Amino acid sequence: MFQMVMKHTHGKARWSFFLAPMIMLGEVFCDLQQPTLMSQIIDQGLAKGDLGFVIQHAVLMLMFAVLGLLFGRSCGALGSYASLKMGEALRSHLLKVSLNDRQPKTLMPATLITRITNDVTQMQNLVMMVTRGLVRSPMLLFGGIVMSIIICPDLAPILGIIMPILIVFLIIVVRRSIPKYTQMQQSVDTVNRVMRENLQGAKTIKAYFLEKHQLNQFTHQNQNLQQKSQTAALATVILSPVIQLMLNFGVIIAIGYGGSLAISNTISDGQIIAFVNYMIQITNAMIQTVNIITAFSRAITSSSRVQEVLDMEQNEELPEFVEAMPESSSLEFQNVTFGFADSKPILDQVNFSLKDGQWLGIIGETGSGKSSLINLLTRKYDEYQGTIKIGGIDIQKMSLKSVHQKIAVALQDSLLFSGNINYNLTYGNPAATEGDLDQASVVSRSSEFIDQLPNKFQTEVEQAGKNFSGGQRQRLNIARALVPKSDILVMDDATSAVDQETNSQIKEHLEKLRQNKTTIIISQRVTNVLDCDQIIVLENGRITASGNHQELLKQSKFYRELVTTQMGDVNFGHA
Amino acid sequence: MDMHRGPRRNIHPQKVALNNWQATVKRMWEYLETYRLKLIIVFLLTIVTTSVTIIGNRMNGVVVDKYIDKNRLHALIMVCLFLAIIYLISSIFTYFQNSMIIKVAQATSQKIRQDVFANLQRLPMKYFDTHDNGDVMSRLTNDVDNINTALMQTFVQLFTGIISVVGMGLAMLILSPILTLIAILSTVMTYLFSRGIAKLTQKAFATQQSSLGQLNTQIEETVSGKQLVQLFNHTDATLENFDRVNAQYTKSAFIAQSLSSVIGPFNNMTNNIAYLLITAIGAISIIGGYGKITVGVIFTFLIYLRNFTGPINNVLNLINTLQLSLASAQRVFELIDEGPEKDAPKAITLKKANGHVEFEHVSFAYDKRLILKDINLAANPGEVVALVGPTGAGKTTIMNLLTNLYPLEKGKVLIDGIDVTQIKRSDLRKLVTVVQQESFLFNMNILENIRLGKPNATDEEVYTAAIRANADKFIRQLPNGYLTELSENATQLSQGQRQLLSIARAFIAESPVLVLDEATASIDSQTEVDVQKAMTALMEKKTSFVIAHRLSTIQNANQILVINHGEIIERGNHQSLLEKGGFYAKLYNSQFD
Repeated sequence: MFQMVMKHTHGKARWSFFLAPMIMLGEVFCDLQQPTLMSQIIDQGLAKGDLGFVIQHAVLMLMFAVLGLLFGRSCGALGSYASLKMGEALRSHLLKVSLNDRQPKTLMPATLITRITNDVTQMQNLVMMVTRGLVRSPMLLFGGIVMSIIICPDLAPILGIIMPILIVFLIIVVRRSIPKYTQMQQSVDTVNRVMRENLQGAKTIKAYFLEKHQLNQFTHQNQNLQQKSQTAALATVILSPVIQLMLNFGVIIAIGYGGSLAISNTISDGQIIAFVNYMIQITNAMIQTVNIITAFSRAITSSSRVQEVLDMEQNEELPEFVEAMPESSSLEFQNVTFGFADSKPILDQVNFSLKDGQWLGIIGETGSGKSSLINLLTRKYDEYQGTIKIGGIDIQKMSLKSVHQKIAVALQDSLLFSGNINYNLTYGNPAATEGDLDQASVVSRSSEFIDQLPNKFQTEVEQAGKNFSGGQRQRLNIARALVPKSDILVMDDATSAVDQETNSQIKEHLEKLRQNKTTIIISQRVTNVLDCDQIIVLENGRITASGNHQELLKQSKFYRELVTTQMGDVNFGHA
Repeated sequence: MDMHRGPRRNIHPQKVALNNWQATVKRMWEYLETYRLKLIIVFLLTIVTTSVTIIGNRMNGVVVDKYIDKNRLHALIMVCLFLAIIYLISSIFTYFQNSMIIKVAQATSQKIRQDVFANLQRLPMKYFDTHDNGDVMSRLTNDVDNINTALMQTFVQLFTGIISVVGMGLAMLILSPILTLIAILSTVMTYLFSRGIAKLTQKAFATQQSSLGQLNTQIEETVSGKQLVQLFNHTDATLENFDRVNAQYTKSAFIAQSLSSVIGPFNNMTNNIAYLLITAIGAISIIGGYGKITVGVIFTFLIYLRNFTGPINNVLNLINTLQLSLASAQRVFELIDEGPEKDAPKAITLKKANGHVEFEHVSFAYDKRLILKDINLAANPGEVVALVGPTGAGKTTIMNLLTNLYPLEKGKVLIDGIDVTQIKRSDLRKLVTVVQQESFLFNMNILENIRLGKPNATDEEVYTAAIRANADKFIRQLPNGYLTELSENATQLSQGQRQLLSIARAFIAESPVLVLDEATASIDSQTEVDVQKAMTALMEKKTSFVIAHRLSTIQNANQILVINHGEIIERGNHQSLLEKGGFYAKLYNSQFD
């Protein structure tokens, strides 16, 4: 964890990280002077009736108080600077790693997001705490012990008895309570899950009259939660009375034993008072230290979660030679197999080739490997067997950048970014002209609704495109893929949410725009692919047939079935 | 105690308008009914423990003045023993006081959660349509937690705080008015200063909060749109943009934090100054011989000071927290008070029905918007009725009225001649089984999920239902077969498989009336054949309503109703509708274009 912090603090931030605890030492030193000075006032000033001595020492105390403020304030500022800078660097790094990650089995987006946001914040708080608390409390503890020994060696054995007992006690209680808190957390999760299910499945619950069943289940879990939280809370309830008691006993012993010594004139009143004050300081510091250690262990979980993301970082080895952008836009898949070690292949021995300028249709049910095929072509993943070529050049020998320049994809999931429509449409080509945008929006039939918006292309898009309907988002999504005018266009089920009528209009426009340009259409609807030069039928990761519509009708039983079942497929437009 | 429940919704709760807080407090008090005696005991214990602290601290000073300075060793030891005993008792009291309050708080929040959840089961469908799940969840979790914390900590702390402040204040005042003034002044200073800083930082924190919002939005968008960023060669631009927002956040956070980081050290300083003032002024007045100040008094004050500033600041914070908890309680009570779905006063028990269904002049409005107009239909037992029409025409709504999920505007819906609003809901919903486009599967095993259709079904019956639903084969192929635990939303199954399970659930329910609501819409064509066969089997001997957008599936229906804009615009069978040459015929022929 320390390494992670070091790696993400540079220059001023790193200086601050080390400087802050040192300055904190100053604050601790000032705080520790107070009881000693005070005991001197009582013993020397008071006893001798020396007013000058009292005032002089009071001024000294004031000076230490103000100095303490200065130290504390600087430490705080430096600490927050170091921690914030570290957080900034860490976030930036994490995002970069996640963006460059191209491994097939990777963390879910939701998990990644939590790690970049919450976990980094945890780390940030931790660094803040390290620079302040982790030095302050143990040093106050340590310094307090040293000072009390110096000022009153006769009473020091009291600390020697009380402190070890308290420390052992604290460790035992905290240790025993941790598993109980873990159990409580699990119970909390279960209750939350039942509640969430109940909201999401409200309709099903009503339909089957499961209310009683659900309530029984909840009652059981709720009681379990009550019991678990009670056990956890009760496990630590002993802490505060015992600490209180030990401290009070310490004070009593100090007064009783110290008093008897004072009566025989071995020590003074001032020493006793100072000692008691130190003891209070020490106990407080000890409680804080325990709190910090607990918080620290919580942050360790965060740091290991962050580390997991950092470990995804691949040393992007530059290919030995990067060939120039291929001229032609032909495509070739040679014996391509792709899958994970522990399950059957997702793509199995895929072979096909497509001439420059042809249209390719890919059809198959969900899970047949259609999207994986495109993921390999666009180099989302590199771990496959076989060769994929664009214009005769192995895509592994092209830079990622040129592969993505060559191919534009409209994905089925039509995510839009917050910004305006213009920003979204020029996402793949910031230099696009107004004419390009107009053309793309006409072809994708987005112009229909953009024209009706008061701000046209300047209309704001909310996060995830919430202010547009599913169909509108898909149309913008298609437009976005059209704007870069790439040599190869892939439509990955990109019209699944638009109505039949718009779908066929888009198809018509697209056929004109992409005449003699390499285009791949992936769809579940036969109508979308039936005019393609070549249609591939994918079943369970294998190509079971390929050819044009007429040929497939003869060759493929699966294709014929698909055509017959979809004959009834009439999507109601707004008639 | 803080329960970490993952993302919290109201992290920065706005000050909530507390209308009628007396009523909320009164209601909380009612919840505590069985624990009132315990609460009173807790308060008595608190008074004892706090008094012990006050007296103990004073005794320390007395010891110095009366025994040590006067060389009375025997008396000194006696007093110390006395102190040890009262401290021991006080600690034991504290232990019991804390344990008791934990039990009370946990039991109370359990009871509140139970009441909220129980009422949630009774709420009408409309409530779930119109309320954000996140909001309801937040009431169930965060708000109940807040109440819990209030009971467990805030209450007792506030009480202890007030007793300590008053008790110590009085003791201090009697001992030395001047030194008391110093203590109070330092407390007031600390309070005023942190208030002042808080006002200053408020704006800085608001800026920080808004740039944090931007930052999080960017992270969310970039991570979820990762593939797009890569595909469109946007990585560099995205990172550049992110770095800008990231730096902006750091800057605003630094301003806010370094402003507020003054508070801690400043409080420390005021404490230290008060500390020195008490020592110095005490010493001066002893030397000068003014007043009754002794070394013991100084000693007592120094200890009091450490116990005085804390509680006063605490009390002010606690009042704030308490207000928030009251607001939470109010939000929770709102949910408990939400009007439940009720059976008609003299609802009829109807365990069996032939399955004759009739709609008589049914109209339905939602939010004052008329959705359905004058719907009439009659289905004889065993008939298949198909509803077709564009999305949003009102097909699903008609079926929701059949199960009495929403109140009618006009007209009647009858099963076997009985008005559905007069049938007990539990019976009605067993008579009509609905298979939705996406049925919800629960986080339990497959066996239990299917059994939900008929809670007292035997394992054998479940297997039979699965076999008839064509689901048995794929279930047995799963590593744990019927005992496979489904994760939330059953993501490990395909859409088609999930649908087969919900059909199995419908089989086992064996109800006379069946509604298939676009049950095959989102299924790939291969599984569709299985699902289609399963549904045909399911419809046997039942009055079935089929909502479909594929005309091929409904050609054999006894009646076809064409719905548009909330009205039945055509009705008949496949043949007669084709001959009529209307809307249906146009739709049917368009597929051959």
